[in-house]
Amino acid sequence: MKPLLAVLLAVTAGAQDFSQRGYLESGTYYYPQEAPGDSGRVTSNLLLRYEAAYKASSNLRFNASIDARADTHREVEREAHLSWWDREAQRPALEIRRLGLIYTRGEFTLELGKQLIRWGKADLLNPTDRFAPRDYINLVQTEYLPVTAAHLTWAHAADSVEFVYTPRFTPSRTPLLNQRWAPVPPGIQVVDGGARFPGGPQFGLRWNHAGSRIEYSLSAFDGFNHLPVLDLTVRSLAPPSVQVARQYARIRSYGGEAAMPMKWVTVKGEAAYFTSPDRFADEYAQYVVQLEKQSGEWFFTGGYAGETVTKRRSVLTYAPDRGMTEAFLGRAGYTIDSNRNVALDAAVRRNGDGSWLKLEYSQAFGQHWRGTGGFAWIRGTPQDFLGQYHLNSHLFLLLRYSF
Amino acid sequence: MVKLATLTLAGCACLWGQDARQIVAESQKRGSVQSQRYEGVLRVEDRNRTISEKQWHYVRQGSYGSSKAILRFTAPAEVKGVALLILNHPDRASDQWMWTPAIGRERRIAFQDRSTRFFGTDFSFEDLEERDVEQFEYKMIGEETLAGVKCWQIESRPKQGKSSQYTFSRVWIRQPDYVPARVESYSKDQMVRRLNYADIEKVQGVWLARTLEMNDLRRGSRTILKLEKLQLNTPMNDTEFTVAALRREQ
Repeated sequence: MKPLLAVLLAVTAGAQDFSQRGYLESGTYYYPQEAPGDSGRVTSNLLLRYEAAYKASSNLRFNASIDARADTHREVEREAHLSWWDREAQRPALEIRRLGLIYTRGEFTLELGKQLIRWGKADLLNPTDRFAPRDYINLVQTEYLPVTAAHLTWAHAADSVEFVYTPRFTPSRTPLLNQRWAPVPPGIQVVDGGARFPGGPQFGLRWNHAGSRIEYSLSAFDGFNHLPVLDLTVRSLAPPSVQVARQYARIRSYGGEAAMPMKWVTVKGEAAYFTSPDRFADEYAQYVVQLEKQSGEWFFTGGYAGETVTKRRSVLTYAPDRGMTEAFLGRAGYTIDSNRNVALDAAVRRNGDGSWLKLEYSQAFGQHWRGTGGFAWIRGTPQDFLGQYHLNSHLFLLLRYSF
Repeated sequence: MVKLATLTLAGCACLWGQDARQIVAESQKRGSVQSQRYEGVLRVEDRNRTISEKQWHYVRQGSYGSSKAILRFTAPAEVKGVALLILNHPDRASDQWMWTPAIGRERRIAFQDRSTRFFGTDFSFEDLEERDVEQFEYKMIGEETLAGVKCWQIESRPKQGKSSQYTFSRVWIRQPDYVPARVESYSKDQMVRRLNYADIEKVQGVWLARTLEMNDLRRGSRTILKLEKLQLNTPMNDTEFTVAALRREQ
């Protein structure tokens, strides 16, 4: 893929309809507490993201984006190979984030190649967002991963229909077993048994209607869960040692979303039901209801995310989306002025067993620089999805140069 | 913008009965173009005189009050690609969607949120929409000279059932060319925003303002918008003004 990107960028460099942007961002995290299996208290990472686009004609457009990463804590691979499929356990040092074309004809838009596809209207949790795996190496600072897909959209007046086909599965990136975001019980040696990726394509269909008083969508997905079920094999009892392999269940999901502006607030809801032919995967429904309000310089979103399991089959999964259900979720932001803002995110499990709060302050310096600092505070019991990270409260500082 | 120019014009009664409405309608008619595009250079000054600069690219198509527009930031670098799609309707408030490339999602701007500032500028989301002359009632207040040019001073109030963050607005329209010169917008009896039009000139046969200065009187801040590379009546396609287009032109 490297030559293809180089050719694309070279061809477009002098063109009038060429546009580019990007940023260089450094992030530093300080954890006051040690975690089992990870004595590291300070981690740093560096990301260079470059995005370019070329409009060849009014109907045809090319997009490309590449990431280059480095870090201090081996969350990033040390080999400088160029990743396309995003299947590595660690973050790749070099990665094609986007490469493809968008062709428009009348009411049809076709995007081919590596791209971000986002479904869903809610902000706190998106059960219908099936083509959006994420990087969960740091659970508090997650990022969406692109997928390789053909994405066809037909839009007419207030209605649109999207069809998505992905030839090859892209998993979410889970926490590394030798690091603090993988809460391994003390005294047990855990060996990475790798991943068993499923073969075959994935499909999705979504209809959206944007009415004047309500906007709603219905969607269906046939593919694989991008979050793994963990397959544990005991290697030895003394000393205790287990091997953990990641496997990905075939799922079908049927979902709906709606956003309805009322007099004082906007009400958003999203729900999906997941079925699976695999004996190791649960069948369940997930939903979120939230209220949203913007008032002056304030922005508030708050709601509840829930889950109902109809068939319980799996013993052990790594599923942050499910881990954030049965919880009250909220977000608030305040714009101090055109350069400064503060934001607060919070989640509290209904049973009180886990809670998470993130507060950040962000300030722009001139036209290019922005600094963001804050802390994440995590509390709870080790049995709870959120609570198990109670040793991972941290301070963070991000510095970004945009160009 | 010109639409921005005509902006609150809609949001713009009668010493001479019907005349005020006719003046506003004539002003809209004279400023009417099939399409337009420009590069907007914005200078935002807060109450402490801290200055930030932004740029956007604006394209618009359709007749006044039922047009479609997309505004896309081109600078500073950190907001490059953020865009707003505005679908104006003659009988009701516009539909608006904002696209944020960093998260790959568009978000519909709820009507009750339209009074908030648009992306750190002193324009609110509502200020960016067009309202047809039929959505307001007008009353002539009198005449006043602004910058040496005689203007009609007209008060406009949203008709019953037409919501607006503003209780009423006062609009100054220049008598020689029907170009709006100033709009003062009130919440109850308090003036909350003042929009001044400057650098008025004829472009491709249409008189319009090349500089707009929006003052947020509650915050003590102002935004100056200069229209550069302005082109009128260039060919455009309807498919450029959809949510799908908002996503792809990132």
